[in-house]
Amino acid sequence: MTIFLLILHGLLAVALLGAITHQAIAAWFPAGQSADSFVDRARRVSAPAYTGAIVVLYLLTMALGAFIYAEYRVSIRIVLEQLEARAVNGSFELKEHFAAIGLGMLPAYWFYWRRPLNPGHARIRAALTLVLAFIVWWAFLVGHVVNNIRGFEA
Amino acid sequence: MAEPSRYSAFPAAFTIAFAIAYAIAVDRNLALFTYHPAIGEWGLGVQAPMDGPAMYWYGWLATAGLTALFTGLAACLVPHRAPRFLNHWVWVVPVGALLFFAWLLRGFFFR
Repeated sequence: MTIFLLILHGLLAVALLGAITHQAIAAWFPAGQSADSFVDRARRVSAPAYTGAIVVLYLLTMALGAFIYAEYRVSIRIVLEQLEARAVNGSFELKEHFAAIGLGMLPAYWFYWRRPLNPGHARIRAALTLVLAFIVWWAFLVGHVVNNIRGFEA
Repeated sequence: MAEPSRYSAFPAAFTIAFAIAYAIAVDRNLALFTYHPAIGEWGLGVQAPMDGPAMYWYGWLATAGLTALFTGLAACLVPHRAPRFLNHWVWVVPVGALLFFAWLLRGFFFR
């Protein structure tokens, strides 16, 4: 069951990663009308359209992560400590705190991306999205590395 | 553009208060409750480990969430100036919190 939830957690994280990355690119590097290349098309997506999905995906991913976190604490972390993988443990500790800060950012993130967009809040939207994107990327990469080192029931 | 409502201050106030309260809750270990994963038991407040590790993360989230909720509601009582002031800090404070945790956990990376 835990393995199933871990895989689901990872899949949701992939979807979240894609959505927040697209939105961050569109918010920071908006393209003009003549966008033909792959990169230009990524820059031209409708950034506000991702907001609802990002909030829901973040909540679902975090809820699943919080649920399987207890299993990690009992079965995985102790092994990492025995392996003296201090940097890995520290990175995971940062992941849990970063994810918590991201959770607290969701109300403001949602508010500033509400339609109709307030042009005066463009920089705030871009900044909030970039911070949230950093948190999601960090959590994803650290989770991936820890799973590679010591997956459940490995 | 719609006029800001009296609740416009809530989201930014919540985010700022949550980041600060969470950082303080972790630093001072002010968990609203403790979870003992090895035996599957919950307890109010900060409890010592029992038959395995004790998890305070859920309790820290609850502490920060409640603090942020009340702060956000309080910010709604000052509707005119609060949103503009909070706009300047709404992303700066969370970034500060991230940096704080990087500093707090530096021992894992540097001996």
